[in-house]
Amino acid sequence: MLIAFLVLLAPFSLRAQSKEYQIKAAFLYNFAQFVLWPETAFTNTDEPFRIGVLGDNPFGKALEEIVHGEKIQGRPIEIVESSSAEKMAGCQIVFVSKSQVPHFGDVSSKLDSKPVLTVSEDAGFIKRGGIINFYRDGTKVRFEINPDAADKKGLKLGSELLSLGKIVRPEAPK
Amino acid sequence: MRRDKVLNWAGKIARFASGLSPHLKGELNFKIAATVSMMLLTAGGLFAQESPSPEGPEIYKKMSLTELMDLDVTSVAKQPEPYLQAPAAIQVITGDDIARSGASSLPEAMRLADNLEVAQKNSHDWAISARGFNTALANKLLVLMDGRSVYTPLFSGVFWDVQDYLLQDIDRVEVISGPGGTLWGANAVNGVINITTKNAKDTQGFYSEGGGGSQLQYFGGARYGGTLASNVYYRVYGKYFQRDDEVFADGTDAQDSWNMGRGGFRVDAEPSLQTKFTLQGDYYAGHEGITTGGRANVSGGNVLGRWSHVFSDSSDMSLQMYYDRTHLTDPIPASVVGPITLAPAGILTDDLDTFDIDFQHHFNLLDWNNIVWGLGYRFTHEVNQNAPALAFLPPTLDHNLFSGFVQDEIRLHDNVFLTLGTKVEHNDYTGIEVEPSARLQWNVTTNQTLWAAVSRAVRTPSRVDRDLSEPGPGAPLVLLQGNPNFQSETVIAYELGYRAQLTPKLETSLSAFYNDYNNIRSTTTNSVLDAFGLPFPFFFQNNLEGETHGFELTANYHLFDWWRLHGGYDLLKEDLRVKPGKSDINNALNETADPQQQFSIRSSMDLPRNIDFDTALRWVDTLHLNNGATVGTVPSYFELDARLAWRPIQDLELSVVGQNLLHDHHPEYGFPSPTRVEISRSVYGKISWQF
Repeated sequence: MLIAFLVLLAPFSLRAQSKEYQIKAAFLYNFAQFVLWPETAFTNTDEPFRIGVLGDNPFGKALEEIVHGEKIQGRPIEIVESSSAEKMAGCQIVFVSKSQVPHFGDVSSKLDSKPVLTVSEDAGFIKRGGIINFYRDGTKVRFEINPDAADKKGLKLGSELLSLGKIVRPEAPK
Repeated sequence: MRRDKVLNWAGKIARFASGLSPHLKGELNFKIAATVSMMLLTAGGLFAQESPSPEGPEIYKKMSLTELMDLDVTSVAKQPEPYLQAPAAIQVITGDDIARSGASSLPEAMRLADNLEVAQKNSHDWAISARGFNTALANKLLVLMDGRSVYTPLFSGVFWDVQDYLLQDIDRVEVISGPGGTLWGANAVNGVINITTKNAKDTQGFYSEGGGGSQLQYFGGARYGGTLASNVYYRVYGKYFQRDDEVFADGTDAQDSWNMGRGGFRVDAEPSLQTKFTLQGDYYAGHEGITTGGRANVSGGNVLGRWSHVFSDSSDMSLQMYYDRTHLTDPIPASVVGPITLAPAGILTDDLDTFDIDFQHHFNLLDWNNIVWGLGYRFTHEVNQNAPALAFLPPTLDHNLFSGFVQDEIRLHDNVFLTLGTKVEHNDYTGIEVEPSARLQWNVTTNQTLWAAVSRAVRTPSRVDRDLSEPGPGAPLVLLQGNPNFQSETVIAYELGYRAQLTPKLETSLSAFYNDYNNIRSTTTNSVLDAFGLPFPFFFQNNLEGETHGFELTANYHLFDWWRLHGGYDLLKEDLRVKPGKSDINNALNETADPQQQFSIRSSMDLPRNIDFDTALRWVDTLHLNNGATVGTVPSYFELDARLAWRPIQDLELSVVGQNLLHDHHPEYGFPSPTRVEISRSVYGKISWQF
């Protein structure tokens, strides 16, 4: 704190505190390269690829900066921010902010059977039906995947994802 | 500012004495001073946090999953706390903010800090303060450039006219309102301004700028940065400008044109990730027209070295030394009382040499204590050649300042911190001074911080308070005198603040304060009449006390990627009074020439085709200034600055800047009189090019 008092960083907090989220934003964008969405994920060929952020956006502007000018599966990318699960309906990827994870049951039902890759960063997320969850291993960002949940949504996960992520199957045969 | 002040002040006294309007404000203005100051390493040193390698979204997006998994979330270097979590009323001005404001000098750029009062007094002088007390020689603000104190022991304030740099190479300016005595020492009574220039590593290559216009007649600057060896970077720079006269209320020239040239260098060596050396120096010289006649010459230079070493994430130290020299030659008009000339016109010179050494060490103890301590020593050698009408006695003065401080940030809970600390100083005027503080910080979430603080700070006497003689000792009658018993002014400040990133697009902060002052300077007379049947001499005492309170509110709103808005509002209520049974010929009016309210709104747009458009509107409330016990005003005003810039090709920028666009000329400071200087509308064009 003293240091802050003396030196204080950049004018803008986001920059200083968000290296972790810049990295996570890059992960999100990268995930899209290794997931195959069914045709039913889009209503028409002109539709953009939508990445939703449900609840508080921890990425700041990092996510927008990363997807700016890029395409996923030939489609331009659009970021949707909202705290309403209804607004996430047209998204192919939904990042669920920590504060929304406890309500993920409700959220899930609103997304229903839509082919949505759900991602979060909360220890309880996979148990509640999420597909990919970030966790920290020391100073590194890691992720766990529930391939069964992805299957249910009709998503095909690439082998690179499956080999790099930690596989968890909360609904595995009991 | 110095010269006009000194002059005005002498003039006012003379008028008073001759039975014209008792214009004592100037003298009162001369506030007391603190001596000492601070140290501390400043930003650049120890805790510098330039990123060692390129990072950020642009880089990460090109990485594979495997590479991403290899990245460290936290940087290796000691990471200063995010600005959002700083437990103080701080505002940060970036180099980019300055560029987009169109400011052409450092004092102009201070308008970007909403928690400062900035009033331009004439072409080359500014009154700048925080939380009030913006008298003609404002003395409650401490200013450091790259860790070097730039306050003058002459009046404990800052000669803003000589504080400048090639603005392109300013990294940031941190403006803290509220006391900073625990870290920075005496004089950091109402605020601290920390100006940091860029690391030489970040100013590689050639940069040049030039242009001219109506008030800023012409200017030019250049910098070249290169490497001397592996991990040893340098830059050299130069800057020059010529400013035209401002005007009096009737539109006639105020004869206060000025020019200033400066140059300097900075070398930064990083022999390892843990060790950094900085060596830098500057020299400047200028000439300033004085409205009462003649020209003042100012010059100065400094050289500073700093070594810093990081032992681990939780331990580092730094050692800094500097030498600084300033020179002033100031024409002083005759001292006239009625039909009698007490002293003829003449020249005052002031030469100040400062040597300063500071050490600081930071470490963690038991995982829940973050401790910083330091030691410092400063030696000042000041020589005056006195003018007949204005003198400082003795004309040569050597002073020593010893200081030490310790501060512990204690983690009470995961996100609750208590910081306790104190500075202890010994100066040659008042002996030992103690400046403790306690700060409590609660990081409610990563995006919200609540903080509260109680601090004590002092302003130690300046040469004006102690050593002044006006006119000098050769005159048959002395009108105003310093007082060898003048003591330190003190404040106990209570602060409460909240800062939050409310949404990704909206950031806001609110800082409230209640300050309790004691022993503030007064001007007093013995009741015994002298040989002339007049109550002279007047002399300074510490007869005032009082309270101020108010708050500062700011907000930054990123409306769109290409459009940012900024707003700031300050409220200040001041209640200073003469202590019971004591006296002050100014009825306690002289210390507080401050606007009760001010606000500003700035807009920054990045338009298509590489065009930037920036505007800044400000409103400043009425200033109440005194002339003895009489009150005069500077009317409240709106003013508007604007800048339009276009980059037809990368590295080439053309811009047009308009300052104070709403009036032909308007006053920002000074008791009403035909010779009060008003500030003119200014328009200039600029070309900058780098490669």
